[in-house]
Parts: sequence; C-alpha cells; structure tokens
Amino acid sequence: MNSKKVLLITFFLVALVQLYVPAKMILDQEEILKTGTPFKFKTAPIDPNDPFRGKYITLNYAENEVVVPKEENWLMGEPIYVSLQTDKAGFIKIKAVAKEKPANNQAFVKAKVGYVTDNGSRRLTIDYPFDRFYMEESKAYDAEQAYQQAQRDTSQVTYALVSIKNGNAVLKDVFIGSTSISEVVKARKLD
Amino acid sequence: MRILKDLPELVKADVINQETAARIQEYYKSKGSSSGNPLFIVFGILGAILVGLGIILIMAHNWDELSRTTKTGLAFLPLLVGQGLCFYALIKKQDNAAWCEAGSAFLFFAVGASIALVSQIYNIPGSTGTFLLTWVLLCLPLVYLMKASITSLLYIGGITYYAIHLGYNSYSFSNSYLYWLLLSIILPHYYQLYQKKPESNFLIFHNWAIPLSLTIALVTVAKNTEELLFIAYFSLFSLFISTGNLTFFTGQKLKNNGYRLIGSLGTLVVLFFLSFNWFWKNLRKETFSITQLSTAPEFYAAVIISLLAGGLLIFQRKSKASTGIPLLAPVFILFIFIFIAGLYSTAAVVLINLLILVIGIFTMKDGAEKNHLGILNLGLLIITALVLCRFFDTDLSFVIRGILFVFVGAGFFGANYWLLNKRKTNEQ
Repeated sequence: MNSKKVLLITFFLVALVQLYVPAKMILDQEEILKTGTPFKFKTAPIDPNDPFRGKYITLNYAENEVVVPKEENWLMGEPIYVSLQTDKAGFIKIKAVAKEKPANNQAFVKAKVGYVTDNGSRRLTIDYPFDRFYMEESKAYDAEQAYQQAQRDTSQVTYALVSIKNGNAVLKDVFIGSTSISEVVKARKLD
Repeated sequence: MRILKDLPELVKADVINQETAARIQEYYKSKGSSSGNPLFIVFGILGAILVGLGIILIMAHNWDELSRTTKTGLAFLPLLVGQGLCFYALIKKQDNAAWCEAGSAFLFFAVGASIALVSQIYNIPGSTGTFLLTWVLLCLPLVYLMKASITSLLYIGGITYYAIHLGYNSYSFSNSYLYWLLLSIILPHYYQLYQKKPESNFLIFHNWAIPLSLTIALVTVAKNTEELLFIAYFSLFSLFISTGNLTFFTGQKLKNNGYRLIGSLGTLVVLFFLSFNWFWKNLRKETFSITQLSTAPEFYAAVIISLLAGGLLIFQRKSKASTGIPLLAPVFILFIFIFIAGLYSTAAVVLINLLILVIGIFTMKDGAEKNHLGILNLGLLIITALVLCRFFDTDLSFVIRGILFVFVGAGFFGANYWLLNKRKTNEQ
C-alpha cells in the first residue's frame, strides 16, 4: 500500500471521528429526551452569552443547597450524586447528596460541588450541569425581561423542565407559569 | 522579489555576468515553485478563517424557527464541506500549500461550529474549556495529515486558552496538567518545520506562539506555594533567551526571534515586579517545609526548568552553537540565591534593585561598545524605569527624587551625544 493510500485512509478515519463526536452528542441527548424522566426545577435566569455558542440564559436553581454533616469532607468542583424527590406541586426537592451513585432505584442526577461553607454552617451549594438554556440572540434579552416581570408577579412560577436518565440530564425547556419561555417572548413581540 | 528586478541593472553595470543572472533567476524559480505563492497561502488561510468564523457566528444566532432536525442537519453541513475540501486537497493538490492550509483552516472552524451548534440545540452542559478541548483534539490530526501549520497555530492557541480556563480558575477541581501533554504532541510538527522549512513564516509564527503559550500556561501550575513560580519563570525566560541565542537565530531579524524577545522582556518585567517590597514582605512570612515542597508542583516546575536552563547555558558556553552568552541569560541563577536570601532577610529587595541597576549599566556599556544607539538607550530606559518605580514606593524627599530625575535625563542627553560624537570622529 503506498503512502498516499495510507494518508487518505487515515484522513477518512479522522473525518469519521469528527462526524462521530457531534453525532454521539446528539444521540445521547435524544436518548435522554425520549426515555428519561422529566423533572421540574424552579429557576432564576439572567442573560450572558458565549463567544462560540451564542446567547443563553444562565439558570440558577432555587433548590441548590443542602446541609452536610462535615464541611471538610467536600471539595469544590468534585463530582456528586444528588438524589431527588418531588413535592406536592410537582417541583423537585433535594433528598440527599452523596459521592457514590445511589444504589436503590431512586431518581438522581450527576452534579458538582459549587461551594462549601467553612464557618460551621455546613451548607453545600450544588452546581447542576444543566445551567444554560440557549436562545435565539434576538430573544434572550426579552426572555430575561419576561422573567423579571414574572418574578414580580408572585402568582407566576419559573421552572426548567429537565429530562433525566441514569443521572445524565438534558434541559428540555424553561417555563414561565405553564408557557415555554420562547412562546412568552414570541407573544410579547407580537403585542 | 527585489533581487530579480535588480538583475538587469547589475548585468548592465558589469557587477555580474549574464550567466550568473540566469543562475540566480533559476535558483529563485526552483525555490518558489516548491511551496507555492505565499500570497495565495495568506489569502487562502485568511479567507477560510473568516468564512469559518462567519459560519460560527451565524450559527450562534440560534435560529428558533428551524426545527431541531433541521438545525441538527445544518450542524453537519460545514463539517462535510470542510472535509470535502481537505479530501480534494489531499487527492489533487497535496503539494499545494495554499490548498492544504486553507482547507484545514476551514475544517478547523467547521468542527468548532458543528460541536457548538449541537451543544446549543441540546443545551449540553460543559464549560468553554471542555468545548475547546474537544474541538482542538478533533482537529489535531489535520496538522500531520495535511501538513497544515495554520492548524498547528490554532491548536496552540486553543490549548493555551484551555489551560488558562482550567488553571486560572482556582475554583476548579481539575488542573491543567493535560496542557503539557497536548503541547508535546505538536512538537514533532514544529521540528519538521524547522527541518524542512527553516525560512518559512510559519516557523517564525511558531517561534512566537510556543514561548508565548508556555509563558501564559506556566502560571497554571500554581497551587499553594506560588512564590516558587517566580524561580520557574526566571528559568523559563533564561531558557528562551538561550534558545534565541542558538546559531539558528543568528543573522535573523530580531522581530523574528520570539524566544529572545519574550525571554528578555519577561525577565525585565518580572524583575521590576519584584523590585517592590511587598512580595518580599509576604515571602518572609512563608515557611516552606520539606513535606510541603515535596508535594508542590511549583517546586518541581522550578527545579526542572532551572536544570534545563542551566544545561543549555553550560552547553552554549562550551560549544560554538551560540554567539556568546546574553546578559540576561544567567539572571535566574542569581535570582535563586536572592530568593533564598529573601526568606530570611530584608536585603533581597535591595539586591533585586541592584541587579536591575547593573543590568541597565551593562546594557549601556554593550550599546557603547557595539556603537548601537538602540541598545544604549535600552540601558538608559531600564535605569529610568527603576528610578520611576522607586519614585512611587520610597520615602525619599522630593529634592532627592528631583535630582535623580535630572541625573537620568542628563544621562540620556549625555550618553546619546557622546555616542553620536564618537561615530562622527570614527567616520572622519
């Protein structure tokens, strides 16, 4: 086999890998969306942007703090498993955090330790991996405005709908009340 | 090529004969044809980069009206186009640098655009660091398959950003050791460039990109004993200065010698930074235990880089592979002693200031000997900067400060006048 053939075959393999990576990302996410369980996380969005991936809303979750027995056992940034339960209104509540995967068949999500207090108050803040909701550039700012209004209106709840399977999560949508945030923005634009 | 335009004139003036002129023409023709027209390469790459970046920006708009399937399909479109271009370049234009470089540059951005779009469609978590890492790793093989130096430069930029992203973020649990491995993977290409195209612009760019990347990334080693990194930095800059002093760089323009410039500038900047007392005040409060040192990455970085810098310095002293030892190259050895002294005594800050003063004086002396106004004034500038720094943090009276400034100012006039005068008398 001459060197040009080897070169072409290698290039072909590299091209396949380049196609495989985004394809695998897509398939993994689709799998979670189709067969995962949806959970509702109460949120608090703001509006930054990413130089490569465009405008997104950063989601801060209301349910992101838990009291741990010992502060020194937890390191910032280390991976953790958050066991979840649902309250009467259908929103998630944290049941427990652990360094190992929960054994019994309970719902859980992989996350990271965001912050641990060092003043004895033993509070651990969780960094959920689904903290970005990408939006069309022209709508991200309006979405934030809509959210601010919704926040002033105490009868409105904002939440993220997240599909979870085996601890892996995909953010499906963000809702203000019962309407998707993109629909809310669209309606505002028409007004 | 200017020389080719001058050939008829040189033949006419009987400086060279017709045969020599023809041989010169032949030489440049054969030299030029091997690498393709450099302008084509530059415009090809620029065009590909601009189109690639444009595609990323268009995709970043995040078209709401398109369905998820359409968006997903679109994510692969630039990727397939880029792969097609590279495939064509490999089959038909393997020896055409413009095609290979432009194709790879386009594919590089197409890969980025495609991953970015998929992340966007599915709100895939992951920091910019992970995103960049995936991106540059997917494009790394292009450097070797397409012999594409532009991809190599983009790769170096990417991994440097990645190191900053992880290392500068002390909040992060992960560290940026992977950077060093990623950088070593690109070194064979760098060596190939040096071997096969020692005069190419790409090698000059690499001679800037690699020391810059190392300078930026070394700080990410810092953990708990970051003071030791100053030793590592002085040694790294000395290593750069010695590298820039190798025979390969002699006869090259200074602006093409990234190693020498970054090394010299870096040494001076860090020296001035340490000429203030606050660093040494903090250092005296530190106690480095043996156990702490044995686990400190900064300590190992300082030791390894100092040994490398020392080794290269000794090699240059013994061999003919350089043109004498540059003034700033041995500074790191002195600094190690000053640093150790600084742990126990207040003299260290005085020693650093003295060292800067000596460097300034020797630079002036060097300028005078070489009859070089630039070097002479650089020496004066170093002394001026030293006086300025002390102007802000010492309690000297205004009169003394004023006199110092007058002296330095007069020094500028005097030294330049003396050197210009010396030139005049030499010419006569």
